[in-house]
Amino acid sequence: MAGVRLAGLTKHYRRGSETIRALEDVSLDIDPGEFVAVVGRSGSGKTTMLDLLGLLLKPTAGSLVIDDVETTRLSDRDLAHLRARKVGFVFQEYNLLSGLNVLENVMLPLRYVKDGKNGRARAVELIDRVGLTDRIKHRPTELSGGQMQRTAIARSMVNQPSLILLDEPTGAVDTETAQQLVDLLKRLNTEDKVTIVLVTHDTDVAGQAKRQIRLKDGRVLSDERVGEAVPV
Amino acid sequence: MEILRNIWRRKLRSTLTISGIVIGIFALTTFGAFAENFNALIDGGVKYFGGSVQVGPPDGQAAGLLPMSKIDEIKRVEGVEAAFAGYSFNAKPGGTVVVSFGVPDTIAAADPEENNYSALKLTFSSGRNVTANSRGEVALGSTIAKEFKKNVGDTIDLPVRPADAKPDFVNHPFSVVGIVNETKTAPDSFAYINIADGQMLLEDSLPAQLRESIDVTTITEGISVYGKPGTSLAALDKIADRINDQVPGVKATRPSDLVNAFKAGGQIFTGAAVAAALIALIVGGLSIINTMFMAVSDRVREIGLKKAVGATTSNIMREFLIEATFMGLLGGLIGYGLGVLLVVVRNVFFPAADGSTLFLITPTLTAIAIGFAAVLGALAGIFPAWRAARLDPVIALRND
Repeated sequence: MAGVRLAGLTKHYRRGSETIRALEDVSLDIDPGEFVAVVGRSGSGKTTMLDLLGLLLKPTAGSLVIDDVETTRLSDRDLAHLRARKVGFVFQEYNLLSGLNVLENVMLPLRYVKDGKNGRARAVELIDRVGLTDRIKHRPTELSGGQMQRTAIARSMVNQPSLILLDEPTGAVDTETAQQLVDLLKRLNTEDKVTIVLVTHDTDVAGQAKRQIRLKDGRVLSDERVGEAVPV
Repeated sequence: MEILRNIWRRKLRSTLTISGIVIGIFALTTFGAFAENFNALIDGGVKYFGGSVQVGPPDGQAAGLLPMSKIDEIKRVEGVEAAFAGYSFNAKPGGTVVVSFGVPDTIAAADPEENNYSALKLTFSSGRNVTANSRGEVALGSTIAKEFKKNVGDTIDLPVRPADAKPDFVNHPFSVVGIVNETKTAPDSFAYINIADGQMLLEDSLPAQLRESIDVTTITEGISVYGKPGTSLAALDKIADRINDQVPGVKATRPSDLVNAFKAGGQIFTGAAVAAALIALIVGGLSIINTMFMAVSDRVREIGLKKAVGATTSNIMREFLIEATFMGLLGGLIGYGLGVLLVVVRNVFFPAADGSTLFLITPTLTAIAIGFAAVLGALAGIFPAWRAARLDPVIALRND
């Protein structure tokens, strides 16, 4: 299970002569198996935080520890290997490969891990768990938005990561489908004890997480667990 | 499988790119087959002339004849193991001279014993070699046998009577006793007879006024000199130098001079094949580079996704390189196939009048054509693949 520790995590960008302070001195712990929603307005730093947690970005300062591995000094290659093993991604626009069918899309991350060839059975099982067995040979163009996102969720789980990061996963589907997706995520969180960090604008979705982290101008404005407010 | 799908989903672009490679490799294959055919011919010359010293009359002598007595003088030179007289005649006198990339049909008169010394040993697909003491026997090279449709047991009149032959033209019937295995070089166009029959043809070829005054058994057109088996080219050069120093009235040509002259001839055709390869390199290479750059642009999000799920820079680079290599290989296989088809059609259905072939597909050419295409694809794919691999996943994932 992924324990995640952010200590003074900072990310600045240069845009011409201007410095964008996307994330500023963020420190927090995410315990294994937590279901965390990160909320905030556009430009608050949600996506930057998600990209940092997903090891897609390197911080300007601070430290990020995932499963006791200090990640900020790792090489690009080591970061890629850690990402393949420990982190699953789900995007608002699904990012499925149009040339591949559901099974092939779910199996995509297996290419980049050593024992990936043994993962086919796990991919089939995950497709079953997300309710897409009857669509296993279908291409993304033959799927609804909800089905595509369920495929993406199965893909994020195929390497048995300890941390799943979701960027507006319900942003492109209707309310009913959004709720089905959240129910699926809650089930996976409970059954697999996988840590989930979800970025969303949707207050209904965020409200169903066990913990809500609110960002503003790159800083943590509030950090609330269900039923309690945690002052920063 | 995914590579095929990636290529297939941009059908027109991929087809045009692969067509560029097809044209290049087709040109490389046909020019290469042409060069290989000529080089095989030259290799035979290099092998034969690199294994013996050719002795002829000295520069400035009007008649190209030598006294037979020179053979004994030459045999006394240090390093000489054997020396043989020889004559050669045009097998088809009076024929119109046209541009030819082969050896003309030739009657070669030699001592059958010489075959034991020659680096280019004759073997027979049927029958046998002529014998020293027989008369009226001929062993035909594979091309000349095909040209005149002769087999062992048939008779052939040599030299072949030209259509506009004068009344005093003379030729003789020869019994075909053997067909020489194909050598891809000069012997394929040769009709081998023994020395006695060669002297008979030499006498026929002399002006009538000289025939009575010249004893053809005492003269030869040239002498082929051999060292011990395995004598190096440099050692043969020294033998040639010693013959020139010690035997008056002859000129021995250094075998290395002949070998170099043959090799220089081959370079022209090799140059043509290299030019074809350069066309393939430029046309095919630029097409692949362009296509792969467009593929990278089209698949920015895909690259971002793959990086997000754990692909390393080298994983991405490898995927694009394999795709570019595959495109090169596919174009190479099609271009090579078309080239072979043209060569087969040309050689089988439209052979030259003398039965010789113009193109030769060799394993080396096959490996070069297909290997070149694959390497071309890989090289052309390097920069686009590198660019794909260096994409920032964060930007790539949010690319529109």
